[in-house]
Amino acid sequence: MDIIGYLVDALTPLNLVLALAGVVLGTIIGALPGLSATMAVAVLVPFTFTMDPAAGLIALGAIYTGAIYGGAFAAILVNTPGTPSAIATTFDGFPMAKRGDGGLAISLATISSVVGGIVGAVALLVLAPPLAKVALAFGPTEYFWLAMFGLTLIAALSVGNTVKGLIGACLGLVLSMIGVAVVGGDVRYTMGMQRFLAGIDLTSAIIGLYCVPVILDLVANADPHLKPSETGGLRFREGTRIALKRKFNVIRSSVIGTIIGVLPGAGGSIAGLVSYSEARRTSENPESFGKGNPDGVIATESANNATVGGGFIPTLVLGIPGTPPDAIILGALLVQGIKIGPTLFTTDGNIVYTFIWGLLIATLLMLPVGLLIGRYAYSTIVKVPKAVLAPTVALLTIIGSFAIHSNVDDAQLMVGLGILSWILNRYGFQPSPIVLGLVLGSIAEQGFVQTYLIGNASGRMTEMFFMRPISIGIICAALLTLGFPFWADWKAKRRRQLGQIAEPIADDGTEITPEHKQRDLPEIGFAILFIILGIGIYLGASGMSALGSVFPKTIAAVLIAFSALLIAMNLRRPAGGSFKLANLNAGAMRRISLGVVLLAWVFLMPVIGFLVTSMIAFVAIMIVADYDRPPAKTWAIWIVSGLLICTGFWWLMANVLLLRMPAGLLI
Amino acid sequence: MKRTLAVIFAGLLSATPLAAQSVDDFPSKPMTYIIPFNAGGESDISARFQQAEWEAVTGQQVVIQYQPGAGGAQAWSQLNSLPGDGYTIMGINMPHTVLQPLAGSAGYKTEDLTPVNYFHYTPNAIFVTKDSEFKTLADLVDYAKANPGLVTFAGSGSNSANNLAAVQFNELADINTTYVPFSGTGPSITAILGGQTTAGFNYATSGVSQGDAMRMLAVASDERLPAFPDVPTFKELGYDIVGGAYRGVAVPSLTPEPIRQKISDIVTEINHRPDFIEKMESAGFVLTDIGYDKMDDFVAARIKEYTAGAKALGIIK
Repeated sequence: MDIIGYLVDALTPLNLVLALAGVVLGTIIGALPGLSATMAVAVLVPFTFTMDPAAGLIALGAIYTGAIYGGAFAAILVNTPGTPSAIATTFDGFPMAKRGDGGLAISLATISSVVGGIVGAVALLVLAPPLAKVALAFGPTEYFWLAMFGLTLIAALSVGNTVKGLIGACLGLVLSMIGVAVVGGDVRYTMGMQRFLAGIDLTSAIIGLYCVPVILDLVANADPHLKPSETGGLRFREGTRIALKRKFNVIRSSVIGTIIGVLPGAGGSIAGLVSYSEARRTSENPESFGKGNPDGVIATESANNATVGGGFIPTLVLGIPGTPPDAIILGALLVQGIKIGPTLFTTDGNIVYTFIWGLLIATLLMLPVGLLIGRYAYSTIVKVPKAVLAPTVALLTIIGSFAIHSNVDDAQLMVGLGILSWILNRYGFQPSPIVLGLVLGSIAEQGFVQTYLIGNASGRMTEMFFMRPISIGIICAALLTLGFPFWADWKAKRRRQLGQIAEPIADDGTEITPEHKQRDLPEIGFAILFIILGIGIYLGASGMSALGSVFPKTIAAVLIAFSALLIAMNLRRPAGGSFKLANLNAGAMRRISLGVVLLAWVFLMPVIGFLVTSMIAFVAIMIVADYDRPPAKTWAIWIVSGLLICTGFWWLMANVLLLRMPAGLLI
Repeated sequence: MKRTLAVIFAGLLSATPLAAQSVDDFPSKPMTYIIPFNAGGESDISARFQQAEWEAVTGQQVVIQYQPGAGGAQAWSQLNSLPGDGYTIMGINMPHTVLQPLAGSAGYKTEDLTPVNYFHYTPNAIFVTKDSEFKTLADLVDYAKANPGLVTFAGSGSNSANNLAAVQFNELADINTTYVPFSGTGPSITAILGGQTTAGFNYATSGVSQGDAMRMLAVASDERLPAFPDVPTFKELGYDIVGGAYRGVAVPSLTPEPIRQKISDIVTEINHRPDFIEKMESAGFVLTDIGYDKMDDFVAARIKEYTAGAKALGIIK
């Protein structure tokens, strides 16, 4: 067959070198939070102008798939998704790493990513035209319900704490409304500040919400960041065995990832969340999800790499890019003089098929590349002393949030949200529901308003919302996910009644706080604050256009309702619980110092300049994070290496990624 | 304070003969071209076409960066804080830069921005799927008249060129249709192809990328497009709608006059290169020749036109 013939074209030494270099570069960029596939692909596009089209495409595709995979490293090792696609990887990946299974988690992520990537690429190779029809069958209604489905995952993520989870989701939805609304064009909740016009940047919010709390906890005590693995290494054999045993999960997640990848409005983060939720629902012990269940890592990582191949389907067949990197690659194709669209597979079949084979080869190369980089990254994170690890991770969060738009505002927002997230987390409001609300908010709102407009025009409102076949399917899946935790709860109670004692689950690293038995005053305080916030949002919506105000008003009402429910629940409990005053021990002092250093860092950066501020802050955090009190010589080595790290990243950003660095009085 | 210092410093620099001479050498290092939108849109694609010619014209490369947000306002509001040495330029769009300040706190004013060359526009056009019952614009208008409110148009964004054209068309054709805003050209084309809306108000460029999958009923250009000789203009059909999104290159306000002129000349020269013309026209872009010398008149005329449009959209009373 012709298609096989193109494999030979893909196997030229140049293409292989490009695929390998692309995967290495992509994996590293993906592992650094904030440095995204989009950025890497955008910088490299001009170099492909002079290349043969297929070779250029292979290089770009390899970077893209490598970056989606690389996002798992940061998710597993520092609880921060390197790319938004890896959000759900943190749920189980970090708990695994904390209890000493980090190497295993990386192996599983690698195997799952490779399999997911292959499934996506094979679908692109053999099923592209029929699957492109799926993209068209998804209308505004379906996107709305898909977002709702994603939100139902909150019920599962915050078992025993559902009301707080729902409040967190509302907060995320509120964050998603800030800025200029796509539908209606209103300027919403910017508080008159220009920096909020473009809305809350998702990537910097994720970095802040997940990573800043990790650094704050890192400096608070002398315990190692991750428990060292007993056996050491990546435990690749064990990983392969587990993955083989969970082959059904791998394949299901890869298929979900491919199909969601085909939808231009969805993307890797939603694919990961949906397959995570499905893996949890079908699991025999759903309670262990979120506490380090390997199935969670497998599901997310196979799904998000499957979206790479899936996303190329609408890009190449319909000329509608599935994701931002796809959009850049589409532009590169146009510059090469290649006409995208339905005829592409016939007129330029040689280029397309050579590229798809190249993408497959690049995906396979992820296995050795990933294991090598993963082994190095893991052992480094475990071995590096805290006094160097903490400032390095802090530097990465600031670089990452700054690099997205070359904008200091994003870095300031990241630190602010991060400190807020740590405080909220202390009182049981976890970051994940907030992030889910932020990711899904705009999709839900646009889908809702568009469905409303179309339904209203044709007078078929109910039919538009509830009668479309795909919508009904998604609604059913959402109801299943929503009802499942309650059903599982009921079953567990029943089992207990029957006198069977459930096996205690290993819950190292669990972060789910069980519901309090007694009245919790701070909780009531937060709920009152949220009610005030809700009222403010509701009143703020009054001046907006009809299209722009539906969603804010609804969310405000829901937020008020849940906060009131939380207060009611607290009032029902007996009063007089031990009211814990914030305990100003040494750990707390270190946390506060770190928070102050981070804030000073991002606010002085535009005044003094990036490099100098970073160097000073780096050393300051070293002092905050030091527990070992090493001799002066070690200190000297640490400081020199810190200064080198700062300079190296600064040079990389200014001269390779060509970002506009903030230069104040100094550099 | 910092701003004042920068102005003085820039003034000193431009006063020295060394700086004056550097206009002739300009550019002597790679330039940065900021696109205030996401990759893959019309702004990006036309800039990428320019990028492929840039080195041949100037001897230097140009690096494209994206700074999306708030429909471009995020980048435009920061344009004047960028260094005015000519090495950082930014894409600029109409009607965005007129409508956004009219609509409210965009962070900049139309007259704050310094466009040096508007090099093309993408005319608005009405699209239906190839299987649609509407073969001509008259079919669609008749149907809309018989079923008030039933026809839905998918388009890119609220208060955008597409939205403006849809409102204009309602008025001129005396019909009542519903405009459904999507988050970009891609999602709105997906909605049209998937039959989610009756038709779409998009740019003519989408007609090229979709090939035979969509039918263009009318295009808002002065003359028929080379890529679509069979598609009538709105004017031919009796509706006075000409326009779409104009795209150009702007510089920070500190950029000295000779450099502004030089950058405008570079863009004009690229506009005359046969390869560039061929790529742009076959992709459905319409090239314009609005250099720095014609800029004031062009901007004034657009402000007048879009202020009237803003009233129709209900942005201003």
